[in-house]
Amino acid sequence: MSNASQNVCNEVIVAGGDRKPFNIVAFLRNEYFLSCVSLLFFFSFWHWAASSHVLGHTSALATPMEVLSRLAELFTSTLAGLTMWGHIWASLKRVLIGFTLAALLGVPLGLVMALNPYVNAIVKPIIDIFKPMPPLAWISVAILWFGVQETPKIFIIVIGSFIPALLNSYNSVLLIEPELYDVVRVLGGKRWDEIRLVCIPASLPAISAGLQISMSSAWGCVLAAELVSSRSGLGYIIIQGMKVSDPAMVLGGMVVIAVIAWLISQTLEWADRKLCPWRRDIKSF
Amino acid sequence: MAFETVKVGKPLLLRILPVLSIVMFFTVWEVSVAPPDVHDWRIPSTLLTSPSDAFKLGIDKLTNVNPDGATLLTHAYVSMQEAFLGYILALAIGLPLGLMMGWFSMVRGLARPIFELVRPIPPIAWIPLTIFWFGIGLGGKVFIIWISGIVPCVINAFLGVRMTNPVHIQMARTFGASDWKIFTSVCVPSALPMVFGALQIALAYCWVTLVGAELLASDQGLGFLITMGRNLGRTDIVILGMVSVGLAGAVIGVIIDRVEAKLLAGIRR
Repeated sequence: MSNASQNVCNEVIVAGGDRKPFNIVAFLRNEYFLSCVSLLFFFSFWHWAASSHVLGHTSALATPMEVLSRLAELFTSTLAGLTMWGHIWASLKRVLIGFTLAALLGVPLGLVMALNPYVNAIVKPIIDIFKPMPPLAWISVAILWFGVQETPKIFIIVIGSFIPALLNSYNSVLLIEPELYDVVRVLGGKRWDEIRLVCIPASLPAISAGLQISMSSAWGCVLAAELVSSRSGLGYIIIQGMKVSDPAMVLGGMVVIAVIAWLISQTLEWADRKLCPWRRDIKSF
Repeated sequence: MAFETVKVGKPLLLRILPVLSIVMFFTVWEVSVAPPDVHDWRIPSTLLTSPSDAFKLGIDKLTNVNPDGATLLTHAYVSMQEAFLGYILALAIGLPLGLMMGWFSMVRGLARPIFELVRPIPPIAWIPLTIFWFGIGLGGKVFIIWISGIVPCVINAFLGVRMTNPVHIQMARTFGASDWKIFTSVCVPSALPMVFGALQIALAYCWVTLVGAELLASDQGLGFLITMGRNLGRTDIVILGMVSVGLAGAVIGVIIDRVEAKLLAGIRR
């Protein structure tokens, strides 16, 4: 397993190694080959489990092919007046509105809290009260306050994504190396120069990481809100699939949810690289 | 002594403000909620409950099983049981898996694609499928909590091993250590800070997901208490449930912090 020792370290191997003669053991141990084997095994196990009804009754699991065909059907026909695209957009719209609101509130507040001890002394205790409360616990109260329309869902998303956005921008400023401030001060900078030249650029990577956490939290919240009460959205699709005992619909919904979540995280990752190319931590997962 | 220790205390204002802020918060909350059947400028009691009423209800619920069928402590106990079962299972499976994925390319090749398939699905989205499989009993909730907890465990343990200082590995290799020996005596210890980080993150995830799972399908537990309060139109029960969930979450967080500090004593971050 000499391969692993080269992979495990942080050093960059630009080019190296020489062609080895074909070796069946090495081929069988190749990571990509093993990945294919494992995926093949996963899907065939899924198919077997679904077609032989190991889980007891017929409506517990659908085979991968059934899921795909059901998914194609969902994209072309309508459910509750919307095609799959409509449901995707319904969820996405809620997430985008809630996430934008939370980011616009949370990030500046976090920065101000970190920069001004008086604001911090006033706001921090209240944040600490609300921090341990899971956002999903707000669903009931949101429905009591705002009814069952769009507002409670957006409210939940704001609650869910506000805290990570705020805490990350707050912590990022506190973790800035004090030497950086000294440099600005030695060069004759004012307080405002410190904020503009040091705080903002140095905290941007952590803010961006916080926003990525916010986004995944927002995505979980919108699903939960839609599961509890909704007439549209991806959460509605899977809960509807559950109500009519249609596992293919539930799994199809989950596949779409996973794909959208993956696309969103890739987009944020890309934006992160564009916005702050100077971040240096290891991100290899 | 060549130097003098100067104690710089916080200004008085900065020490008073947090207390003041919390007091203000609860006072405003208390004052702005109207008692039942009073209609004036205040928020009606159908929308919000004052902290004193919530507290009184909390005391009452310690012994009273009405109207939701269990005392507050029973609900809390059920929730804790689910959360900890799922959490322990997530740790027991996620941490070894993540550590092995970091070091052995064979485990990585086998486990990673499936993990990558499951990872982007929010745990909440598993709820309908879980209800098909397990019904609304303990098993389903533990499964959902397990799913939510295992993701940070695997990722952190994996990254912890991958971030091992290569010099240490090379040194162990120079002294003729086997692959397994390097894994157990170099990679795992150096991954420990990341692993302890995972303990905390996973617990937070588990607690959040628990509430989601109970909101949808359960017959006991703090999340159920919240749902029941809404169904009965009892805002005070909803608020009590939220406060209990928050309190329990905070207590768990403090405990984990303490444990982590104990375990991490002596390990360089």
